[in-house]
Amino acid sequence: MLLQQLVNGLMLGSTYSLIAIGYALIFGVLGLVHLAHGEVFMMGALIGLQIVLWLHAGPAVALVGALLGTAALGVVIELTAFRPIRARNGPIFAPMVSTIGVGLILQEVATKAFGGEQVGFPHRLEPVTWRLGPVTISSVQVLILGTALVLMLALHLWVTRTRMGMAMRASAESTLTARLLGISTDRVILVTFAVASALAGAAGVLVGLSFNAISPFMGIDMGVKGLAIMLLGGLGNIYGAMVGGLLLGAIEVLSVAYLASSYRDAFVFAVMILILLFRPQGLFGVGQVR
Amino acid sequence: MVSHGKFARFALAVLTLSALALGVAEPAAAQAKIGVLMPLSGKGASYGAHQQVAVKMFQDKGGALTLVIYDTRGENTDAINLTRKLIGSDHVVAIVGPLFSGESEVTFPVAVQGKTPIITPTSAKPGIAAANRPWAFRNALTSDKLDGALVEKWLAANPSVKKVVILVDTKDAVSKSDGSIVLPAALKERGVTVIDSISFQTGDIDYSAQVTKAKSLNPDGLVVAALYNEGANVVRELRKQGLAQPIVAGLGIMDPRFIELAGPAAEGVMTVNDFWTDNPDPAVARWVAEYKQRSPTPPSNAAALMYDTLDIVRACVEKSGVSGKPDDLEKDRERMRDCLSRVKDYKAPVTGSTTFNADGDALRQPVVLVVRKGKFESVR
Repeated sequence: MLLQQLVNGLMLGSTYSLIAIGYALIFGVLGLVHLAHGEVFMMGALIGLQIVLWLHAGPAVALVGALLGTAALGVVIELTAFRPIRARNGPIFAPMVSTIGVGLILQEVATKAFGGEQVGFPHRLEPVTWRLGPVTISSVQVLILGTALVLMLALHLWVTRTRMGMAMRASAESTLTARLLGISTDRVILVTFAVASALAGAAGVLVGLSFNAISPFMGIDMGVKGLAIMLLGGLGNIYGAMVGGLLLGAIEVLSVAYLASSYRDAFVFAVMILILLFRPQGLFGVGQVR
Repeated sequence: MVSHGKFARFALAVLTLSALALGVAEPAAAQAKIGVLMPLSGKGASYGAHQQVAVKMFQDKGGALTLVIYDTRGENTDAINLTRKLIGSDHVVAIVGPLFSGESEVTFPVAVQGKTPIITPTSAKPGIAAANRPWAFRNALTSDKLDGALVEKWLAANPSVKKVVILVDTKDAVSKSDGSIVLPAALKERGVTVIDSISFQTGDIDYSAQVTKAKSLNPDGLVVAALYNEGANVVRELRKQGLAQPIVAGLGIMDPRFIELAGPAAEGVMTVNDFWTDNPDPAVARWVAEYKQRSPTPPSNAAALMYDTLDIVRACVEKSGVSGKPDDLEKDRERMRDCLSRVKDYKAPVTGSTTFNADGDALRQPVVLVVRKGKFESVR
């Protein structure tokens, strides 16, 4: 049973990772928390679902569509909710509050457009399951894990090997210095939003596929968890977010399996507080944050 | 100026007179206001959407009641506040709703305090109306009147079941009572052992850990006590992880959305209720056909019970001599209460002969249902 539970935890955790990475990317560059990120994740799931319903497409097309759709949404959010406030030198909390507004707007729009009901992907996408000894794995789970790993690897390569990635890291180090060195930080921020949002959108489709529970409110809990994981992994550290997500998924599932199952979230957050008590900078954080 | 003032006074007098005349002409039933509480958004919005269609249908078919309708979002706090509003500022003579047992549990005492009759069409957790005599009623069978018949038929169809695992939503009031008290009692009575009870919460999305745990216990049968969203995903996860054991579910899953969400995994799941869509009875079939013209989805029991509850309330407004005058509000509320407590063998249009017992709970014939080919069918 332990083995199967670990697989369950890995699946849940990999979607957490994708969301947490988005928070980490944006925090890394802007030093700000994007509180509508959970809603971007929700929009990803809804876009994926609409693509499947209208175009009768498979999960791969839905995934690509959601990636592109949420990337565009991320750009719009940066241009409307972050940039104007930054340009006017608003207080540090102003953009955060404006993203709360964006989140609520997205929820309302989604409710009006698609209804407040919980919906799932059509049953023709029902996964094929394989039994490997004591463990049952479904095609959707392979897709989730595969997609999450591929996206994380792509992100790693992008950040470390491309000029844009380098510019992003430079901006994360110091926006001012980066700008002095001739880097267009506005463009870097825009790209960061697109990438972070695309990852959340992909996570939305993956969660929709595996848990069959898409609704305008699915982003609320996930958003909070993603944020917590980012903190756990080390503020703005994308590798911390990856590992933190997997860790939290496993802890959550194991707490259900071996402890009281209706306290899963309470338990997860208690563990998180405990870790932060001993390592306030997070698991992979280095020293003080600016 | 003077003539103008005179004219105005004259006009006012005419208006008042005509209003009085209208008031006399209008039947009392149309003047007495009835409050309606249902979840039109949030958790259980599907139940609420069904009830809304039923309310519309009732009004269109000449149900001469003045309704004041509010959305509780399925939340206890909203339900309490709206009940206070209906009693205190809308001056209703009776309240129909709320839908959930959790909501009913907290709003009934408010209605008792406000001396206003309240009747939930659906709440099924045992004991709630009994604790709030003499003002609370419900037109639903409490789950202890349903689950005995359900377990009986389920075991008859699956005689090999000796030990079961229960999966229960501990956040939803009726599911919790069903899964931790009523169903275990009904199972024990018939010699079935409950190995373990595994919990989850309304709004959870990942049930893989619970299902893996259930699988490791190796039961012969599975019991699910949940609402339709969670119930559907639990059943789906059970089948996905390869548990092929027979499943019995509490009445919370009784909604067409359950089958829609669970898909093929819903096949063979047994549950119980007092209404089902494919009931061949001509009166029910006619009602269902009419309902389907107004709604893309077939009716659920929440819709049927709402329709019948409104019909019972209408009958009481007409029979009990409710005057509908503001001065008579207290008396009108007492008249409604007395009328509701005397409902006996009432021919409700959809669910049939209905009696309210001394606890304020409905008595009716329950039907055990099974999902076959994407539909609820009765088990004979």
